[in-house]
Amino acid sequence: MYLVLSLALAVCSCTREADEDPLYLKYSLRQDITAAQLNGFRINDSVKVDVVILVADDSASWQSMKEEFDIRTSEGVTSWLGNIDNPRQRVKRSEVPLWRAMAVHDDHTIAFYRIATAEEFDALREYQLTMTENNIFAK
Amino acid sequence: MERKMTFEELWERGERDGLLVQLKQGFPRWQRRRRMRRTAFVSVAVLLVGGAIMLWHPSRESLRYDSVCCNRNVFPDSHWADVAHHILTIESL
Repeated sequence: MYLVLSLALAVCSCTREADEDPLYLKYSLRQDITAAQLNGFRINDSVKVDVVILVADDSASWQSMKEEFDIRTSEGVTSWLGNIDNPRQRVKRSEVPLWRAMAVHDDHTIAFYRIATAEEFDALREYQLTMTENNIFAK
Repeated sequence: MERKMTFEELWERGERDGLLVQLKQGFPRWQRRRRMRRTAFVSVAVLLVGGAIMLWHPSRESLRYDSVCCNRNVFPDSHWADVAHHILTIESL
């Protein structure tokens, strides 16, 4: 009995959700946006990053999100490196920690990948290249 | 001084006293009880080990991410991992 209880306790402590990011918290209160935070998204065997995803429900909320993040393009994918405290502000790669942000216009979606170190940045880039190549060759 | 009995004499005496009959009846019963106890112990051990493996074995999804929180319950958690993967691998990049 004690063994079962301690096992259940250990499982509960392991599945406990991580802290919510201020970026997620801010947009999770908006009625016109679906906000999600993915904790520990696996990039490779040793790198995991947190991801905040914002999806605008309609064109009006997409326009407002574009203005808030200073996105001036209107098609394809817009990507930038954002300040960790203010994702609207563009930063250089060397200024880690930062957000790797990618806005997909067709989906009205922005994904923010939290990059803490230069190694994580490289791992994410590697993941992008490898997976994109796999997608192309799979077709 | 009492003389030591031979094996044959002991056997005859055992048969006469009913000792051998008791032994014949008792030994399989004792063996059965022991076997049942052993089976029960092995079953409990197998159940515990199986349960522990089921609890701890990482699922395919838990290998992709640790946890998800969302302001609306419209999609399963795996959907957000798919979105995070999809956006990273859009061909137009």
